[in-house]
Amino acid sequence: MRNSMKVAKWEIKRNLKNKTFIIGMVLTPLFIIGFMFLGELFGGDDEEAETTTVFIHDQLNLFSEIAATVESNNLPWQVQQTDLTKEEAKKEIKDTEHTAYLFIDEESLKEGIIPTYTSEEVDSSFINQAQILTAPIQAWQMKELGLSDEQLAIVSRGIQVKEAADSPAAAEKTEEATEESADAPLERIVPGAFAGFIMLSIVFTGMAIFQSASQEKKDKIAEIILSSLTPNDLMQGKIIGYFVLGILQSFVSLAIVLPVLSWRLEIAFLDYLFVPELALYILIAILGYLMFASIFVGVGATMTDVSSAGNFQGMVMMLPFLPFIFIAPVLNDPNGFMAQLGTYIPFTSPGVLLLRLSNLEEWPWIEIIISLVILVISIWIFVKLAGKIFKVGILMYGKNATPAEIWKWIRM
Amino acid sequence: MSAILKVENLNKAFKDKLVIDNISFEVNQGEIMAILGPNGAGKSTTIRNIMGILYPDEGKITFSNYSDNTIPRHKIGYLPEERGLYKNVNVMDILLYLAELKDYPLDRAKQRALHYLKKFDLEGKEKVSIDELSKGMGQKVQFIASVIHEPELLILDEPFSGLDPVSQELFKQEIRQLADNGTAILLSSHQMNLVEEMADRLFMIHRGQKVIYGDMDAVKTKFANFKCTIHGDNQIKELEQLPNVQRVEQANGHHIIYLQKDIQPVWWLKQLPDQLDVRELRLDRISLHEIFIDIATDKKLMQEAGASYA
Repeated sequence: MRNSMKVAKWEIKRNLKNKTFIIGMVLTPLFIIGFMFLGELFGGDDEEAETTTVFIHDQLNLFSEIAATVESNNLPWQVQQTDLTKEEAKKEIKDTEHTAYLFIDEESLKEGIIPTYTSEEVDSSFINQAQILTAPIQAWQMKELGLSDEQLAIVSRGIQVKEAADSPAAAEKTEEATEESADAPLERIVPGAFAGFIMLSIVFTGMAIFQSASQEKKDKIAEIILSSLTPNDLMQGKIIGYFVLGILQSFVSLAIVLPVLSWRLEIAFLDYLFVPELALYILIAILGYLMFASIFVGVGATMTDVSSAGNFQGMVMMLPFLPFIFIAPVLNDPNGFMAQLGTYIPFTSPGVLLLRLSNLEEWPWIEIIISLVILVISIWIFVKLAGKIFKVGILMYGKNATPAEIWKWIRM
Repeated sequence: MSAILKVENLNKAFKDKLVIDNISFEVNQGEIMAILGPNGAGKSTTIRNIMGILYPDEGKITFSNYSDNTIPRHKIGYLPEERGLYKNVNVMDILLYLAELKDYPLDRAKQRALHYLKKFDLEGKEKVSIDELSKGMGQKVQFIASVIHEPELLILDEPFSGLDPVSQELFKQEIRQLADNGTAILLSSHQMNLVEEMADRLFMIHRGQKVIYGDMDAVKTKFANFKCTIHGDNQIKELEQLPNVQRVEQANGHHIIYLQKDIQPVWWLKQLPDQLDVRELRLDRISLHEIFIDIATDKKLMQEAGASYA
């Protein structure tokens, strides 16, 4: 173990002295922020452009009601009164942008159609937005027809078919509703996302183990190193070293991204972060790393260099991306078949578990325990296999091992 | 002289092929012991078994002073045949890392590193990245790495391969000096002339088996018969009639007469007939190089020598 720590220390030092690594470490969070702002930049532009000036030719004295409705519905409208006739409006509209004319008079009420003229560049959803005006106009119409306020209230309430509150299905729905509306999700999602982020970033840093192991062969230093320690020491040292580097990467990223995120979304992340659930999340993340790291270090030892990786090695490198397949089904139904399946497959289990637990009010403890047991057993198996592969592979210079050869080493 | 390393009845097979067949030898304190053999003879496999990088199928490897069956890795220096260094790190960092792996105190390692860099004409290069060094410089750094922790046993697998004559001489002197200071050295090489000059004892291996083992001088007297090279216009039949001749080889413009064991050189020269055409004549022993080639090409010259004498 002492030797492993020396190797770990060396791997950390070697990477921290490497400019490429340092640049990558700082650039990663900057990219994350960059993409976040890119989205907002485009989103923001659209919103500003959408403000439409709406001129209302009002003969029924409804302008104040209309203005109030626009206001309360947050429509991106600027409403103004106008005395222009339809002909004049048609002319006017040709030279303006983001403008609309509405004609509300006795005639339009009789026909049930409010004539609207819009300039060419008006927001495509304008007509949909305008439908909201029917409510105050209809109300006025009914009043004119002589309905009392009480009658008016009854008519405008409408009629709804609804399941009785004591039916079982309704009870379930209410529960879901409260779950969604309460504060609770943030308390689970924030630590879940945090752990997911840590896992991804240490797993991705861990992918460098791949390179590190094959570099050892490429530089032909493996045998010199192995004259001082055992292959297992070397392998463990690499796994530990890259774990620390991954954690370092996570913290640098979080230190840069979190403040920006808190500022933009106005969520106090730290308040939600340190909850008891975090401990389990972090455990899952670390187990996930250990599994992928042992796979990477073993397979890395079978390659002379990353650029010549065969299909088999390439496929292994894709393994950490497997949980992404499960994101949609799990979000759709965190207790569904796909979610459970993902929980029990070792390669996807850490990712899927984090995703499910962040979205579930009631944790399926039995499933969690079963999947953790599967995970721990897989790690144990993968570490053993990696040890066998590493021991032979690291000293095989000049060519990549074939899956058949690797199988032979495992059986040795 | 006490044996630092003892290899007894070592056997190792890859699949069904026996790569090392019942090999035994010792390496003593303060001596240079050479392990020789053609490519694929089993030299590197033997060494890897000693280093615990491979495990023998049978046999015993013992390090004196370490009875608990573990390999005292921190007391062994090792320069493998396939060697290199991390590319993107500087010279001092890698030397200190390798010293640290051997549990050698870092401040002393640093002193020794600087001392050796100076000795090997690399003064001021300690902050230079490995990939900026020439191949020869890289090999010097590798050599320093193998001795930086003052090993009791130094194992050098083909230390001279790829070296220019100047560096070769430098390495030779340094290896000799280490041996004189008490380090036990196990050296494997193809370069017979160098081995002949340097080694105190030798172990020759072919197809995994022992061919010769013993003291360099004794081996030479025992196996290296005299041979006489004559440049001139002579008939091979005539030469074969000379006394104590084992066989004669004809080459462009000269003949090599291989002589039987234990002849008296002066007496034998006196037996040469007057009519012999001699433009040039040389009498010397068969070199280690020739013995080596004979073994590698299965000429079995030495056995013939032994047999005809017996």
